[in-house]
Amino acid sequence: MIMTPGIRKFALTAHIISTIGWLGAVVVFLALAGVGLTSQDDQTARGVYLVMEPAAWLVLVPLAFASLLTGLMSSLAAPWGLFRHYWVLFKLLISVFATVVLLLYMETFGFMADVAADPSADLGMVRNASPALHAALALVLLLVATVLGVYKPRGMTPYGRRNQDKQGTVSPASAQPLG
Amino acid sequence: MADRPPYPDSDGDTRTPRWVKVFAIIALVLVLLVVIMMFIGDGDHGPGRHRRFGGQTPPSSVMAHGVQQP
Repeated sequence: MIMTPGIRKFALTAHIISTIGWLGAVVVFLALAGVGLTSQDDQTARGVYLVMEPAAWLVLVPLAFASLLTGLMSSLAAPWGLFRHYWVLFKLLISVFATVVLLLYMETFGFMADVAADPSADLGMVRNASPALHAALALVLLLVATVLGVYKPRGMTPYGRRNQDKQGTVSPASAQPLG
Repeated sequence: MADRPPYPDSDGDTRTPRWVKVFAIIALVLVLLVVIMMFIGDGDHGPGRHRRFGGQTPPSSVMAHGVQQP
């Protein structure tokens, strides 16, 4: 894909911001999940599960899609490509997997909000360990993706090697780092 | 965010790096776990999967949303 260096840098910046923003939002959800599980105050615990669904729609979902789309743009614009290097491929798989699980989990957020909003449900029913588990797993996945983006471990895919044989070597001077 | 790429592999080594194999195994296990969980939860990774009422009766509003009893 032909992109000017300015657009390439913009796509990379947007990718870094959205990915780190997503990671930060997951940390906040982990904290919320902890408050929901441990708070002795009925209203606080219920409030946590009530606020999770709208917060996820407004923050987690947009950031997940932004991270995925800007990552695709950045990788296609840079000499790294999307399928040439294992680390890029793994980052893509992590983003797709985390986004799909998040979208599936939105229904659960709605369910937990319904339970929290029902005054006849006691606090034991309202409390749920599932958000903490999912947020912890998401945090691990996003940290792994970030580490891959920074360290860029060596390893070309068979497709990348074939491409390299056809086109010759990638000029380091023309290569742009990918977050 | 990072330095320039060390690629292409100058040593001509075409073997799959060990870290890739480890990551692939972890990814496979993770995907299998999700699939198994979805099967256990009647193909649903939603509320049905995560309800935790145990032996208790869920609130009426939740029942109204069509959540089945365990």
